[in-house]
Amino acid sequence: MNSLALDLHPPARRRRTLSWFPFAALSPSLLVLSVFFALPMGMMIGMSFTQTETFSPTLEHYQRFFTDGLSLAGFCRTALMSLLVAVSVTVLGYPVAYFLARSTTRWRAVVFALALAPELAGVVLRTYGWLIILEDRGFINDLLLQLGVISSPLPLSKNLFAVVVGLTHVVLPFGILSLMTSIQGIDPNLERAAQMLGASRLAVIRTIVLPLSVPGIVSSMLIAFTMAASAYATPALLGGAGFKVLATMIYEQVLFYIDWPFASVMAMALLLMMLAISFVGVRYESRRRSRASVSSGGER
Amino acid sequence: MNRIISILYWISLGAVLCFITLPLIVVVAASLSPTSAVTLQPWEWTGRWYADLWSSRWLDPFLASVKIATVVAAISGVLGLFAAYAVVYERIPGSDALMSCLLSPLSVPQIVKGVAIVLFLSMIGLQGLLGTPALIAAHVVLALPFVTRMVATSLANFDANLDRAAQILGAGKLQRIRLVVLPMIKPGVLSGVTFAFIISFNNIPLSVFLVRPGDSTLPITVINYLEYSLDPVLAAVNVASMAFILAVIFLFEKIGGFSAQLHGGSK
Repeated sequence: MNSLALDLHPPARRRRTLSWFPFAALSPSLLVLSVFFALPMGMMIGMSFTQTETFSPTLEHYQRFFTDGLSLAGFCRTALMSLLVAVSVTVLGYPVAYFLARSTTRWRAVVFALALAPELAGVVLRTYGWLIILEDRGFINDLLLQLGVISSPLPLSKNLFAVVVGLTHVVLPFGILSLMTSIQGIDPNLERAAQMLGASRLAVIRTIVLPLSVPGIVSSMLIAFTMAASAYATPALLGGAGFKVLATMIYEQVLFYIDWPFASVMAMALLLMMLAISFVGVRYESRRRSRASVSSGGER
Repeated sequence: MNRIISILYWISLGAVLCFITLPLIVVVAASLSPTSAVTLQPWEWTGRWYADLWSSRWLDPFLASVKIATVVAAISGVLGLFAAYAVVYERIPGSDALMSCLLSPLSVPQIVKGVAIVLFLSMIGLQGLLGTPALIAAHVVLALPFVTRMVATSLANFDANLDRAAQILGAGKLQRIRLVVLPMIKPGVLSGVTFAFIISFNNIPLSVFLVRPGDSTLPITVINYLEYSLDPVLAAVNVASMAFILAVIFLFEKIGGFSAQLHGGSK
């Protein structure tokens, strides 16, 4: 799109590039991002490699990250939690996304609003809702105690389960959107043709819809993973001291232990985890694109 | 077999929709109940938690959040508009690289940006900026890439022939920007500004590092309180702030919607 707009008026462009105004227009943004983003990031990265007293370069903080046991465990907990969120968002989001992609009734608007409305509510409100539901004296335990199913409250909060439930709820709308876009791209005639040729509903889903929506499944999982890994409020409130992840551990390092170099190392670990995941996504997308262009080129 | 599959499909759809709405319903119910426990016994509905919202304990952080979000929306709206204009419309040299620079904060998790900013301010001895000034700066860094991207998309998508037509008819550059470009991209700018406002108003991962006692935002005040108690007044606070966000979205929608109907003229 960009290049299209560009090609439409090349002569005007040559004169414009001489003007100073575009540079002046751009500079405040670049200045703000340099001072409050690039500089702090650079300083943080530098700090993670610097000895605290002598200011000489060192890898000791990284060494500590790998050897103190707690940090590496936190890293693994973060990865496990994000993976579970990615899977549950995709599994739970799929039926809703399929409905939104295929329905033509007026219920579509209702489901769409229901699926996306939580996004406006903010993370705190939703996490508070889950606290009320999952707490020891919460909604579910209260219900089960009343019915006599259990005699003492189930441990539903302050653990991995609670964090995964809360984060799944937070991330679900994004998963649904990317799955929906992908399913909308599948020609409904393929499903109809298979059905006419005698395939059962299950066979249609298993052999047509699922394989063709793999790109949507991948992007939903990637979005969910990155959002979950970098979430702070939900793990802090639903996991608490019982389930610490990198995000909450970074917060502790900065505000309680005041250990800045180590906080920087943890932040770097989280950043690298995210960049690795995004890299996987970019690689997958470019390979898919190149495959798609090869096959469509062959057909022509 | 097909029957079972479609029954299972409808059940799963219903179950997921219940999952999505359950916590919201529970919070609204808790905000109207006398205790924080949402039980199955019938209770007396009460509005007293909403009356409590008018105390300075909740009103002050709310006003601080509104103030910060307004300033952030204004700053990132203007900066993002200018930046997208320079990069997409004027195509200044190196525009692709510049665009990647402008969008680069998006690939860094908020919590990492928060740590970096608080360490930076402490290192250079500017802890005094913590509180509102640091919050505004950090939220602008967060919101600016989103605004830039939204404005850039609407600039790239608008029909350049309109601009050319105006040029051929003799319109000067400023005239074209004012009468053609700005009205065309107005929805993009407005949604960017709305988004900036919401993202700042609801922000936790950056704000959590940058607030000061007595100079805090509403979400941070709420989560600090939540760690110790499930006081139902928090439910009322949350419901009220969600209502506020909906009102803001509705307001911006109205502004954008009206002007688009009046053939995109400037108001």
